[in-house]
Amino acid sequence: MLEISIFSILALFMIGGSIAMISNKQTVFAAFGFLVAMIALAGLFAMLNSQFLAIAQILVSVGAVVVLSMLTILTVNAQSKSLPQEPNKTKWIILTSILVAPFTILLYKTLTTLPDHFSTMETINTKVLGKEMFSHWVLPFEILSILLLSAMVGAIVIARKSKKKEDNTTQTNSRERSRP
Amino acid sequence: MTPDMFFLLASILFSIGLVGLVSRKNLFVLYMSIELMLSSVSLLLATLSKVLDDTSGSVMALLMIGVIAAEAAVFLAMIIHLYRENRTIDSDTFHTLSQGENNA
Repeated sequence: MLEISIFSILALFMIGGSIAMISNKQTVFAAFGFLVAMIALAGLFAMLNSQFLAIAQILVSVGAVVVLSMLTILTVNAQSKSLPQEPNKTKWIILTSILVAPFTILLYKTLTTLPDHFSTMETINTKVLGKEMFSHWVLPFEILSILLLSAMVGAIVIARKSKKKEDNTTQTNSRERSRP
Repeated sequence: MTPDMFFLLASILFSIGLVGLVSRKNLFVLYMSIELMLSSVSLLLATLSKVLDDTSGSVMALLMIGVIAAEAAVFLAMIIHLYRENRTIDSDTFHTLSQGENNA
């Protein structure tokens, strides 16, 4: 009974946060909704007895990803004229929800064909997880580390200020200057 | 507490992410919707790991958290780049590949 009530509260936070995320006009409040959803997801991981996943979720998703996106939202500092005009936003969201609802039901019905009870296994603690990860999952782990490295380099390259335009203008300026 | 509740929650979250992805135009909201869809899959993996009594699901969910972090870095850098080039975060501005340069 206690478990079900905790699950309901977490699920409520999660769904409420995600709905706030997609329906809010202010981008920062949308990011707050995302933050609530991610913290609730960490709680759900803890309810599934995978403690390490819950801690990793808090550390990476909440501590790094959400904070990074909030920082980006605040530093980009988009003015109201550069924000998209969405006068019929609520109508679009309701219409899309109706269109997506059958897909949700299909997904749920497909998933319920799996066993409907949890296995009586002990907690998936860090020891078990680490042993599994570094015995059977070493290659994916290494690939992931390369992916993270390339994403870091790619992010630096993409976000760097492009010097192309400035170079062109300086070149034309110098040409004009040297012409007479 | 049954797995069905977790399955239902994961399906609903995936659908909310899909709705946000289709119906909004703000690039930041699109990014967060994609993150939400990925997170719902990782919740599903953790649930299946407990249902099927197999640790691999949890390992996959853990690796997925790393993929989510990598995606966040690249996507946010891309948004900054697009905002710098066009001074807008409206996804409808970037339609060169769908409608051609003429309509821009």
